[in-house]
Amino acid sequence: MFDRHQDLKTIQRCKRGEEPAFAEILGRYKGAIYNLCYRMTRNGEDARDLAQEVFIKVFSLLDRFDESYAFSSWLFRIATNHCIDHLRRNRLRFLSLEGGVGKDGQEYELQFPGTEPGPDTVLQRKEAMERLEEVIADLPPHYRVIIMLRHDQQLSYDEIAEVLQMPLGTVKARIHRARNLLIQMLKSRSYDI
Amino acid sequence: MRDHHNAKGQPLGCHECSEGLQDYLDGTLDKQQSLRIFLHLRECPGCQAEHDRLHGLFEMLETMPDHPLPEGFDEAILASVPYDSYRQMEPIRRERVAVFLEEEFLPAWVRSPVTRLTGVGVAAVSVASIMFLDGAGLLFAVAAIGVAPQVVVSLQGMGRRLSLNQRRAEG
Ligand SMILES: [Zn+2]
Repeated sequence: MFDRHQDLKTIQRCKRGEEPAFAEILGRYKGAIYNLCYRMTRNGEDARDLAQEVFIKVFSLLDRFDESYAFSSWLFRIATNHCIDHLRRNRLRFLSLEGGVGKDGQEYELQFPGTEPGPDTVLQRKEAMERLEEVIADLPPHYRVIIMLRHDQQLSYDEIAEVLQMPLGTVKARIHRARNLLIQMLKSRSYDI
Repeated sequence: MRDHHNAKGQPLGCHECSEGLQDYLDGTLDKQQSLRIFLHLRECPGCQAEHDRLHGLFEMLETMPDHPLPEGFDEAILASVPYDSYRQMEPIRRERVAVFLEEEFLPAWVRSPVTRLTGVGVAAVSVASIMFLDGAGLLFAVAAIGVAPQVVVSLQGMGRRLSLNQRRAEG
């Protein structure tokens, strides 16, 4: 999805200290990284801080970047780890949701009643999106991140395996489980898709 | 062959279809398996409904709207980049060559001028002797071993110069 060759050329310019090259990389990836952070935290301020920290870190570590990997994979790996670390540090905020639907599925039904379908389909779709984002935000972080990498960033299984440094089989199994859990959560909140 | 038979003779069960739906939508199944699911979906409204729901979820996930970046997002990042240290590192980085081209790659005794000079001297004596004596084969071997350290060091030096020139041309 991202142009590996073009990235490598820009990175080599960064390593020579060319200022515009850093702005180029930032322009290419800031939207993706900010959105990943936003969906992981569902909070604009946290997402901004996290995404900025990711780029600051990456831009100070470029000399350690192994050019045999895709830059995008390396960047997403750092972003993913940074978000998950952040969520761990703030564990209390989502502790009750860590276990997923298996343990406290009933609670969801009480907390989140289904919404009445409106007459306007655009509005309906917007609401459906909001509900989906809300449910995604309640997925355990390691499921949330894999759903985002696959569907939001539209990375291939191979790319995700490179980002998360996991065997392909594990990636596939985890994506399947994450989707099943997502569907289960949507159902338990009587959210129709 | 057997799979093909299966596709016609032994239709897929609902459980198997349901298990394969995600891979079907991901497009990671082979043709045969994909066909079997396709055929089952055509016949089975229950699985078709599950397929549609999953497909709808995939579509929604892929079209989630982006959140707009906050104002002044870039500035803090670009202000923190250690441009100068990258520029200072650059000459050092650019002088790097492959490990086997680094001088230290060869043992010190091979690189020592004494070894190399002695080796070349022994080789010269051997070659001179070949002209006057018999047993030339052995003397050739001695000559070859004698010049070896000098040859290795020279080759390495040439490789290093070539490699650096190429890097400079690229940079
Ligand atoms: Zn069926």
